Amino acid sequence: MSAGAPAPDVVVARDVTKSFATAAGAFLALDRVSLTVPDGKFVSIVGPSGCGKSTLLQIVGGLAAATSGEVLVDGVRIDEPRPDKIGIVFQEPLLLPWKSARENVEFPLTLRGEPTGARQARAQELLALVGLADFADSLPHQLSGGMRQRVAIARGLVRRPRMLLMDEPFAALDEQTRTRMWGELLQIWSASRATVLFVTHSLIEAVYLADEVLVMAARPGRIIERIEVDLPRPRTLDMLGSPALGEMRNRIWHLIAEPQP
Amino acid sequence: MSAMTSWRVRGGQLMIIAGLALAWEAAARSRMVDPDVLPPLSRVVTILWRLLHDSNFLDDVRITGFECLLAFAIVVPLGLAVGFLIGESQRLERTLGGPLQLLMSVPKSVFLPVFVLMFGIGIAQKVIFAIVLAFFIVVPTGIAAVHSVPRGLVTVARAFGATRAQIYGRIYLPAMAPLIVGGIRLGLIFVVHGVVFAEMYGSTGGIGRSILTWGEAFQMDYLLAAVLLVLVATVVLNESIQAAETHMRARQGAAA
Repeated sequence: MSAGAPAPDVVVARDVTKSFATAAGAFLALDRVSLTVPDGKFVSIVGPSGCGKSTLLQIVGGLAAATSGEVLVDGVRIDEPRPDKIGIVFQEPLLLPWKSARENVEFPLTLRGEPTGARQARAQELLALVGLADFADSLPHQLSGGMRQRVAIARGLVRRPRMLLMDEPFAALDEQTRTRMWGELLQIWSASRATVLFVTHSLIEAVYLADEVLVMAARPGRIIERIEVDLPRPRTLDMLGSPALGEMRNRIWHLIAEPQP
Repeated sequence: MSAMTSWRVRGGQLMIIAGLALAWEAAARSRMVDPDVLPPLSRVVTILWRLLHDSNFLDDVRITGFECLLAFAIVVPLGLAVGFLIGESQRLERTLGGPLQLLMSVPKSVFLPVFVLMFGIGIAQKVIFAIVLAFFIVVPTGIAAVHSVPRGLVTVARAFGATRAQIYGRIYLPAMAPLIVGGIRLGLIFVVHGVVFAEMYGSTGGIGRSILTWGEAFQMDYLLAAVLLVLVATVVLNESIQAAETHMRARQGAAA
């Protein structure tokens, strides 16, 4: 580890296994997956489609149950959604179409019955953080794809969770928007100090954003490698063309492309 | 759509209605059609005005109105609730989906004699027939309403700690609103249809019976006056429901 003093782990997953019953018999989506995410770190999970990376994220988020094994977030065993500890951003923004941007950010607070004034102020704060202060009253359909996803990120952070889970949040965006979102996400991350677990199938994205990349393989879904990213922070777009990033990308590519024993 | 175009569309719609009314009047007056078959609109409206001051006819209106209201008040909540339950349960839908489709495609009118034999020619028969007719329209709308709820939004609500009641109240209800209103409107149309039709088949009162009597006596002006009343009432009610929905939605969009 390149970090000095070891930070406490926000996420600890131990031997997480998930199997589904199918017509062809039991399908092992995840086979004894263990991982730790240190406090304040940005960790990417990358792997081919069908490697169970989204399933793993759902289990960490309490949205799906593991067949065996356990997940602890901030010391608490996760067996149901814990919005006090975990914020989630999905592949689609999934905003309530009949609510404004601000009301969508407020939504997790509304569910808790927080007073209107407090939750509006907090939502406005988050909208400012994601650069949408002027769009508080816009409805989702009036915003661009990138803006909608920023609203979703603000919603994920509104309850000040220890950890933000992101499930391919930029996969549906065009390349230019996606590249711009990388810089913004890193800024939001350093301002919020949340720990991030970020699932993606883009190798460049995984490396560019993260402190550490977990590489998964499919059939059965498992983690095959853990790669420290030693690019300095703050990350700049120039690094996208750097040899160091290219080498890491190629290493991951070989891990994924070559059949694993 | 801007307010301006909205008004233009409204204007165009009014022009079409006015044009049809004029064409009707002109066709009858110029004797292009036999005025005994199609009396001029002005005459029909005059007779409708007279009928609205005729206590016998008003009794018929009251009977029909009461039957419609009763059938509507029963079938819309019942149909939507049944549709909701079926739509929410995969097992129920697998079991009931097929039979429901079959029953939907059966023309209910052919069973009217059976209804008369079972329930007589009183209010009950007409209300029950209207309920049966509307039920198989409202239930599929209720099922469609449940299916229209985006699953992703339910997942989001769960992820942010929504209770079951909150998921129903904050995700299901607003997402289903347009189709619920659709169900209410279809319920209204089919209830009126069922009641008037059943009255025409066999009844001791109601607008439907009057329409039948006037038809058999070849009093087209009276017959059309009653038809016009049913038509206007249905359209006005229908548009009110739609307007209420639009208003609700606008308020929901503005407030928290």
